[in-house]
Amino acid sequence: MSFFQWLEHSSLITSISNSKWMYPAVEVAHFFSLFVLVGTIAVVDLRLLGLAGRRQTVTELAEQLFPWTWAGLGLAVLSGFIMFAASATGFVANTQFLIKMAITVVAVVFAILVQRRTRQWDQPSGTPILAKLTAIVSLALWIGVILMAAEIANYSEL
Amino acid sequence: MQDALLSFCKWLENTPWALFIGRSLWAYPVVQAIHFSGLSLWVGTIVVIDFRFLGLGGRRQPAGRLAEQLVPWTWTGLGIALLGGILLFAASASAYFRNPAFRIKFLVLVVGITYHIIIQRNLSKWGQSLATPPVAKLATVTELALWICVITAAVEIPNH
Repeated sequence: MSFFQWLEHSSLITSISNSKWMYPAVEVAHFFSLFVLVGTIAVVDLRLLGLAGRRQTVTELAEQLFPWTWAGLGLAVLSGFIMFAASATGFVANTQFLIKMAITVVAVVFAILVQRRTRQWDQPSGTPILAKLTAIVSLALWIGVILMAAEIANYSEL
Repeated sequence: MQDALLSFCKWLENTPWALFIGRSLWAYPVVQAIHFSGLSLWVGTIVVIDFRFLGLGGRRQPAGRLAEQLVPWTWTGLGIALLGGILLFAASASAYFRNPAFRIKFLVLVVGITYHIIIQRNLSKWGQSLATPPVAKLATVTELALWICVITAAVEIPNH
């Protein structure tokens, strides 16, 4: 029995996937946390591009939002792992899912990069071109993650 | 009334653009991605502001200041989410119309948007000081509950 089969049939996971309300509750947690994760990242990226909340500096706005980004990521990973475990063998065989995971990792790396550079990028004359470029790539990556997530259902019998 | 709405749904799902979204291999996922991107902005910014009014996170500035910065993105998000949502609905309008989970989602959604418009007028007033009045806490807890209901109903749509 492979690891993924074992995971799928572990008692904790089967009790979640067989329950009428637990699996939907995990899905709700996943969507809810994703909205917080992507929403806060998008606002910071848009601010770096000079589009959002210009009455505050990038640093002021970003430090209000970063804690929510990471709280959202934590809950999204936890709920996402449970959803994955419930049909692990199906997900690992799904190309769209694997692409989604790969883009997610890169997007999270970009989020860490943005957070570490915010202070340095925060200049009265506007954010440097490198910051804007990073923000555009970050936005594109998250749209890619969402697009791949939407594609998963269209190419599998999950 | 039911019949009129159902025939409207039938007409809607047979418009060329609705047929295109339903049949194309790439258009449907793209429209879903538009819907979810908009929702991330709409729900994401609302949740952060609501939590902030509840006294969680980023207490270095009054909640009203943060709300002020995020408001334009809340509404941009709603616009994008509605655009994507209307297109998704159109692609299988009569099936959605008959779906009880969708009906509940739609109803709570209308309440949620109306509620948000009402409390948003008060947010800057409530959020001037670092301590939030109890009425603001009640208002924001209610709002969080409403959006969790909308997401729950949305998740249940395929099960009905």
